[in-house]
Amino acid sequence: MSAILSNVAMSQTSAARGQMSAVSISGLNKFYGTFHALRDIDLEVASGEIVVLCGPSGSGKSTLIRCINHLEQHDAGQIHVSGIKLTRRQDDVEKVRRELGMVFQNFNLFPHMTVLANCTFALKLAMRIAEKEAEAIAQEYLAKVNVAEQAHKYPIQLSGGQQQRVAIARALCLKPRIMLFDEPTSALDPESVGSVLRIMEDLAQTGITMICVTHEMGFARRVADRCVFMERGEIVEAGPADTFFDSPSSERLRNFLDKVL
Amino acid sequence: MPSMGFVQQLGIGALTTIQVAVCAYLLAMAIGIVFALATLRRRWLTQLIWVPYASIFTGVPSLLVAFLFYYGGSEIVSSVLAPFGVSQSIEITPFMAAVAALGMVYGAYLADLIRSAIQNVPHGQFEAARVLLVPRTTIWLRVILPQMLRLALPGMTNMWIVVLKDTALVSLIGLKEIMAYAKLASGVTKEPFIYYMLASAFFLAMTWLTYYVARNVEQWAGRGFHPVVAKGASHAL
Amino acid sequence: MHFDPQVAWDSLPKLLAGTLTTFTVLLPVLVLGLLLALPIALARFKPGPRSVLAAAYIGFFRGVPSLVLLYLIYSGLPQFSLVRETFLWNVFSNAYVCAWIGLALTHSGFMAEIIRGGLAAVPQGTLEAAATLGLKPRQILFRLRLPMAARYVLRAYQNELLIMVKSTAAVSAITLVDLTAAANTVFDYTYDPFTPLMTAAAIYWCITNGIRLAFSAADRKFNRYLVRA
Repeated sequence: MSAILSNVAMSQTSAARGQMSAVSISGLNKFYGTFHALRDIDLEVASGEIVVLCGPSGSGKSTLIRCINHLEQHDAGQIHVSGIKLTRRQDDVEKVRRELGMVFQNFNLFPHMTVLANCTFALKLAMRIAEKEAEAIAQEYLAKVNVAEQAHKYPIQLSGGQQQRVAIARALCLKPRIMLFDEPTSALDPESVGSVLRIMEDLAQTGITMICVTHEMGFARRVADRCVFMERGEIVEAGPADTFFDSPSSERLRNFLDKVL
Repeated sequence: MPSMGFVQQLGIGALTTIQVAVCAYLLAMAIGIVFALATLRRRWLTQLIWVPYASIFTGVPSLLVAFLFYYGGSEIVSSVLAPFGVSQSIEITPFMAAVAALGMVYGAYLADLIRSAIQNVPHGQFEAARVLLVPRTTIWLRVILPQMLRLALPGMTNMWIVVLKDTALVSLIGLKEIMAYAKLASGVTKEPFIYYMLASAFFLAMTWLTYYVARNVEQWAGRGFHPVVAKGASHAL
Repeated sequence: MHFDPQVAWDSLPKLLAGTLTTFTVLLPVLVLGLLLALPIALARFKPGPRSVLAAAYIGFFRGVPSLVLLYLIYSGLPQFSLVRETFLWNVFSNAYVCAWIGLALTHSGFMAEIIRGGLAAVPQGTLEAAATLGLKPRQILFRLRLPMAARYVLRAYQNELLIMVKSTAAVSAITLVDLTAAANTVFDYTYDPFTPLMTAAAIYWCITNGIRLAFSAADRKFNRYLVRA
C-alpha cells in the first residue's frame, strides 16, 4: 500500500525531475532495539519544494528528519542530500550537514552567549569567516527575523517566539540549501506561534527547500507544496497540499484530519 | 613479604583510625545539628558566632587545628575552665586533639549540609502537620527528620569518607593509627611499599563498605519517593 | 591562650617562606591534575574497557588519602631497584616531584568526577544544534561543551580548590617545609604554640577567602547569562 502511494508522490514531482532532488530517500529503515521506528520510507524532495510531514505522535516524523542530517543513524536504505550520499563517515556527514539547516522544537540556543554570538559562533568556527564579516551577516539575518534589537541580550531574556526566531536566523546565516524544521512551534505559547510561522512563510517565498514536521495544519495548507502523512513509521499518504486536505484518499488520513481540523 | 607481626600492628592502627573517625564524626554531627537549627533563621546573635566559626574552621587545614589543639590544648582547656574556678589541668592526648579538631572542622561543613536539607523539606509539610494538630516535637522527629535525612544522606556519606581520610593526615600530630604503624613497619623492614599498599587497601575497603551501607540506607530513607519507573523504550519520534 | 605580636612579626619570614613552598606545591598540582582529569572524564562517556579503567582510577584516587600516596611515591618507590638505579632516581628522589605527582593524582580523581558531571549537564540539544551548524566534534567539545561545563561546575571546582589548598599540609610528611611545617618549626624554638600556629592559620584564612572572593567575581562574570532581568 505504501509503495503505491509513494509512487503517487514520486510521479507528482516528475515535472521537477529535471532538477537534481534536494533530498532523496529510498528504502529507509530505522530500529530502536526491536522497535521498528521507520519502515521502508521512500521520499523525494525537489529543490525549492516545501514539504510538510504530519501525523500522530510516535509516527516517526521527527526520526525521519533527524536521519536526514544524521542526528539519528539509519539502519538500512539510502539518503542523498543535494546528490551527496549520507554514509557513516564523518566527512560525508559534514558535507551533508553543510547543505542543511535545522530548527529544533526546543530552540537549542547557546544559553551562555548573546544572540549575536549565537549566530556568529558557527560562522567563525565552521565557515572560518572573520569576526567583522560574521557580525554583519548575523545582523542581516537577525533583522530579517525581526530580532535585530535583541542582538546583545542573552537567550533567557527573550520570549519563546523571539528565541525561536533567533534559532532560525542562526541556521540561515550559514546559507543552507535545505531547511529542516522539527516541530518549531510546539513549545511556544499561542501568541508567539504566529510570529514564527510568519517568518517561515516569508522564508518559503525565497525558493529555499523546506521540510517541516508540524501540527500547524493551517500553515501546511497555505504554504506547503506537498504534504506527507505518516503513521507508525510508514508513509501512509502523500500528495499536493490541496488534494491532501480536500480529498484525502486513505481512511487513516481522513480520520487524522477529522481529529486535528 | 609483609611480616605478620607488623600486619597485626597495622590492624590495631586501623582500629584506632576508625575510632578516631567515628568519635570525630559524632562530634561533628552534634555541632552540625546545633548550628543548623540555630541558624535556620538569620538572627544577628547566632550569625555573630556562626560566621567566624565557619569561616575559620573551613578556611584552615584540619592538621593545623589538630596541632593547635594538641600543643595548646591543655592551656585552652584551663583558660576556659578558669572563670568557673576549676583549676584542673587536663592532659590532651593525640586522640583527643584529633577528635576535637576533626569534629570542629567538619561540624561546620555538616551544619551547612543539615541546614540546607531542612530548608529543602517542603514547607507544606510543617503546615500540614500543624493543621493536623501534631505536637511540635513529634513534627520534628516523625515528619521533618526522616525527610531531611533523605536529602542530607549523600552529603553525609561523602563527609564520613572525608573525615576517615583526614584522620590519616591528622595522624601527623603523633597519633598511633594505621599511618603511624605503616611508617614504623617501613622503617624497620625497609619494605615501605607493601605496608603503604596495605594501608591503601584499608581505606579503599572502608570506602567501598561505606558506599554499600549508604546505598541501602539511602534506599530506606527514600522510601515513598521513588515510584517504579516503567522499563520500556521511550523514543524521540 | 595568648597571642604575642612580636613573635608573630619575627616569625613572618619563616612563615612566608613556608607559604611560598605551599604555592610551589599547589600550582603545578592544579595544572597537572586538570590535564590528567580531562581524558579520564571523557573516557567515562563511551562505554567499554576504557570507561571501566577510568572508573577504577577515579575510585582509587578518591578513596586513598593523599598522605598515603605521598608516602608510597616518596618512600615506597625507591624500594625498587628500577627506581633507585636508573634515571628515574633523579625524578623520584626530589620531594617536590613526589609531592606534585602524589597530590596531582588525588586531585585528578576528584576533578575527573567534577568534569564528568559538568559535561553530562550540558543539554544534548545544544550539542546537536552545534553539529547541525557544521561544527566538527573537536570544536564542539572544546569551544562549546567544555566552556558550558565549566560554568556549571564553578562552585564544585571552588570547593575542590579549597580542599587542595588545605591538603598541601600533607607534604610536611615528606620533608617539604610548607606553611604548617614552618609554623611548627617556629613553635619548636619559641616554645609558644599559639602565636605561630594562629599566624599560620591567619595566612591560610587569607588565602582561602581570597579564593572565595575570586570565585564570586568569576561567578558574577560568567553566569551573567542566567539572570533574567
